[in-house]
Amino acid sequence: MAMAATIAKRAGRRFLSSLPALFGVVVFTFLLMRVLPGDPAIFFASGPNAGQAEIDEIRRQMGLDKPIPEQLIYYLRDITTGNLGRSMTTGQTVVKDLVTRLPASLELTFVALMLALSTALPLGIMAALRPNSAVDHVVRFLCTLGVCVPTFVSGLLFIYGFYYLLGLAPDPTGRIDIFASQPPTVTGFMLVDSLIARDSEAFVAVASQLVLPACTMALFVLAPLARMTRASMLAVLTSDFVRTGEALGLSRLRVILVYALRNALLPVITIMGIVFSTMLGANVLVEKVFSWPGVASYALDALLASDYAPVQGFVLLMATIFVMVNLTVDVLYGIADPRVTIE
Amino acid sequence: MGFKPKGLTEMGLSRRDMLAGSTAFVAASNLIVPAEAQSRAETLRQVTGNAVNTLDPTMPGSTREAFGISVNPYDRLVSFGRKQMGGNWVFDPDTIYGELAERVVTSADGMTFTFHLRRDAKFHDGSPVTAEDVKWSFDRHLTARSLASAQIQTGSWTKPEQFRIIDTHTVEAKVDKPDRLALPNLCTLYCIIINSKVAKQHATAQDPWAQEWLKTNQAGSGAYIVETFRPGEQVILRRNDAWNRGEGGKQAAFRRVICQTIPEAATRASLIEKGDADLSIDLQASDVPTLATRPRMKVVSTPQFNAFTMIAFNTQTAPFNNKKLRQAVAAALPYTDIFKAALFERGAALFGGSWADAPTSSIFPQPLPFKQDLDKAKRLLAEAGFPNGLDTPFAFNVGAAAIAEPMAALLKESLAKINIRVEIQKLPDAQISTMVTEKKLPFFTETSIAWLPSTDYFFRNFFTGNQRWNYSSWENAEILELTAKARFELDKTAYDTLCKRMISILADEVPVIMMWQPNQDAVMTSNLEGYTYQYHRQVDYRDLRRA
Amino acid sequence: MSTATLRHVGFILRGNPVTLVAGCGALFLVLVAIFGPSLVPFDPTTSNVPRALQPPSATHWFGTDQLGRDVFSRVVVATRLDLLIAASAVSLSFVLGAVIGAFSGYSGGTLDRWVGRFVDVLMAFPLFVLAMAMVAALGNRVENIIYATAIINLPFYIRFARAEVNVRRSAGWVEAARASGNSHARVVLLYLLPNVLPAMAVQISLNLGWAILNAAGLSFLGLGVRPPTPEWGILVAEGARFITTGKWWLVMFPGMALMFAVLCFNLLGDGLRDILDPRMRT
Repeated sequence: MAMAATIAKRAGRRFLSSLPALFGVVVFTFLLMRVLPGDPAIFFASGPNAGQAEIDEIRRQMGLDKPIPEQLIYYLRDITTGNLGRSMTTGQTVVKDLVTRLPASLELTFVALMLALSTALPLGIMAALRPNSAVDHVVRFLCTLGVCVPTFVSGLLFIYGFYYLLGLAPDPTGRIDIFASQPPTVTGFMLVDSLIARDSEAFVAVASQLVLPACTMALFVLAPLARMTRASMLAVLTSDFVRTGEALGLSRLRVILVYALRNALLPVITIMGIVFSTMLGANVLVEKVFSWPGVASYALDALLASDYAPVQGFVLLMATIFVMVNLTVDVLYGIADPRVTIE
Repeated sequence: MGFKPKGLTEMGLSRRDMLAGSTAFVAASNLIVPAEAQSRAETLRQVTGNAVNTLDPTMPGSTREAFGISVNPYDRLVSFGRKQMGGNWVFDPDTIYGELAERVVTSADGMTFTFHLRRDAKFHDGSPVTAEDVKWSFDRHLTARSLASAQIQTGSWTKPEQFRIIDTHTVEAKVDKPDRLALPNLCTLYCIIINSKVAKQHATAQDPWAQEWLKTNQAGSGAYIVETFRPGEQVILRRNDAWNRGEGGKQAAFRRVICQTIPEAATRASLIEKGDADLSIDLQASDVPTLATRPRMKVVSTPQFNAFTMIAFNTQTAPFNNKKLRQAVAAALPYTDIFKAALFERGAALFGGSWADAPTSSIFPQPLPFKQDLDKAKRLLAEAGFPNGLDTPFAFNVGAAAIAEPMAALLKESLAKINIRVEIQKLPDAQISTMVTEKKLPFFTETSIAWLPSTDYFFRNFFTGNQRWNYSSWENAEILELTAKARFELDKTAYDTLCKRMISILADEVPVIMMWQPNQDAVMTSNLEGYTYQYHRQVDYRDLRRA
Repeated sequence: MSTATLRHVGFILRGNPVTLVAGCGALFLVLVAIFGPSLVPFDPTTSNVPRALQPPSATHWFGTDQLGRDVFSRVVVATRLDLLIAASAVSLSFVLGAVIGAFSGYSGGTLDRWVGRFVDVLMAFPLFVLAMAMVAALGNRVENIIYATAIINLPFYIRFARAEVNVRRSAGWVEAARASGNSHARVVLLYLLPNVLPAMAVQISLNLGWAILNAAGLSFLGLGVRPPTPEWGILVAEGARFITTGKWWLVMFPGMALMFAVLCFNLLGDGLRDILDPRMRT
């Protein structure tokens, strides 16, 4: 139990130390939004006959009639009460929008990350087993090729190929076929929800909807993950305990999969946290292309409309997730390797 | 507009009369088909690039798509009919029929309108539509801070007292002066009739008009009931089987309607081509000709005769406060090239008119006598006092880039020939709205629309006053005088004379260069029928059915 | 470079043909960027509406676009701008990051803490959205795209420089430099930085590729450079609109150019890392 206490204490300290960063993110985003040259009130008053009265009304609704420092103080006060403001683009509160949309982004990112890992690990190991061989070069080339295609291009090409030409993929329009019945929302993760509802049809519908966007995203992170696996695997393979294992006559496969891989995975886990939060934030283009109702596309639309509240809420959410993910990785790492402590 | 109050004296028109003449119609429920196939055939799926952000069209900030959706769950007192134009259905501002009003009686002086409500009309909760609901709705439109009041004051509707309850099924409405646009304004989609009993239950002290609640809920009597509303993603509508104001006294044809937001135009096109979606009205002009040739697809193209794309100058500040300079630019543009390359000629040109001093027609927008003439442009530029040319930015918004970007590129290239050096600015939509409203852009392109397409309304909205829609900030004493007069001019010939004069002043002063009226290209599966181009440029699902 | 290093490089390249090819590719791109604009057959911004949207032919190798402009010329001319954006952004973040990071790591204390906080804030941002917001706020000019790309690369370089300097700050040769009367600034700039730069420099090539993709992403969202200036991202984003109607050449050729550039820089970066950091190799 002493260990659990240490971990909890460490996690707590770590969280507290990240609060200033979150504060910085909030203030910086707030100011950046105020620099945007568009006046959101005017944009949203763009009805056919919008006059000054309506513009002023929207400005009042959005709290833009007050001086900026005052707006910032109000905003910070609102954040502490869990109020992130209201989106003019959707007419809903930002918290509600984010809560309904976050599971979509998380689900997509998780699936993409799993997909990337399950491809990157074998490739990385293969490359590490025969460094500088043809296999190594081919793996490196293929993975790098994946990073080279902008996600919006690969996404559009996937849709064109697999949906339009081949008809293999379902129509790329969101999380589930619009004509299929949607499983009742429990977790917000549709894969999980359809399992809870024991609705295999819905599960298949959701899963097939995920394939293309997840592949698009996975392609993009394949290279760093494979590269990391290769490097740490190489380092481990030359280490003493592996050589000892081989000398003891353990089968090569056993040595690689059981002893070497386990140790080689540690650094991979570390960067996985960063990769995950990066993917979540970089979702913008994928979500846009696949009409995915996630948080990133939400932030993008809001940004182009100079709708401050959703963008600020999104950035705060992403920053919080980033902190939490790092915290989790840190704790996991601490469990896996008790020698690790925070500076 | 040939709108005559006298002709309206006794109106007993229903939607079915307006729709008479269309081909025989078999209700889908009469067909015996497997349940699964039936539900797809009876479902209409529209895909659009933009978001529906509210169910209350009067909410400040409503998107155009939200306007379009609102037409279906709500009824109005009266509405525009439709007519054939170039083989397609378009809305007809000159015929007005009753939606909730069974009859409208207009007094001889054209100032009092008596609306006799349908006795069988019921809201979605089953309660009857009464004069009380009508009165409450108009009180809301005129008092609450919403988009409605600004619009309907263009028809002389300014205070709640103008609407009066006569009895449970009769409402009287009065204007101070016979206004040509009084009744047409009540047809616009802001003038929805709300179930006041339900709305009042959700009203609060801060929000007496239940604006908050009506954003995400609806309390109407219309042809469809909102089943799911996910802002920015999709709206699903279910047919209101009790609604009987369709063709032949029937319900709407589709049992279900899905309106889904798909940001990528290319994806929307694929969806329709694969038969997964039925209709889209916002595909790229460049794709449309190709899509029209594909099997199982058809395109209904209607020039948006109440809209126009223009290039505007800021006429209040240098350098474009110089009339000769504006004329020089107008003479330097390669109109036909721009029309071809940017719009793929999918629209009606508003340049190349054949008249010189006075127009032959009083209709506006109409082609103005502009064409490319570089020698003339150079001469005018020198006369304007810019023998060495000048530098200017030219702005357009990102949302319109598909058409505006090639336009800007050609404009830049061709103005370079007369030594006007253009820097192209591509600005996010919110920025350009701000700069347009604050009159900070010297030279830019925009597309705009008038819901009530009459010449004086166009001029009043777009060429007078200090509001945003006067894109060129144009101030012209004669135009001001002419529009004020035309608004209340009921005599057709006198009205036409006033309008023609306005048009010739515009052609001479060039506060804006009129480019074209883009087509509304509705791309749909070939078995869809009845599509009508509406004044709000969105789809009225009640018009549609499957052949 | 000593002959030993050269021999080492030669050895690595022989064992690593991919890097060699990537290096040649990068060199080719640089040459295209320098000489391309004076060699292209057409003016990349001159329209020719009657010849719009033509498939590749002997005259127009990559076909023509919506305005009848020659796609080949546009793709070639775009090379200079794209490389310029990527190179300026990366060098900006490299220089700033190295200096800030080195001073922070050297001094420790308050400065270090503040720099650490700043980096934390930047790292916690969803970076692409930050870049979008910056370009939207400052206006879509080339220099703003460069700043936006630079700032999202910055935390990486700061951290790297800080960590590398931190481990060296109490090394004997640093103490010696200080003892012989050098100011702190001199010690950092003349002794420590040159020592950590090579390891950092390897990242440049990797980041170049990333910067190009970043600019392309911004273009796709309408936040790229101003039209009618040709830039790969814009060409691809515009071309992608024509996929459904089968005008493949508009997206394919600029797309290939973009991919080729990113691929070369990434593979080259990987290879360089191998050369400078043998630990990663074997």
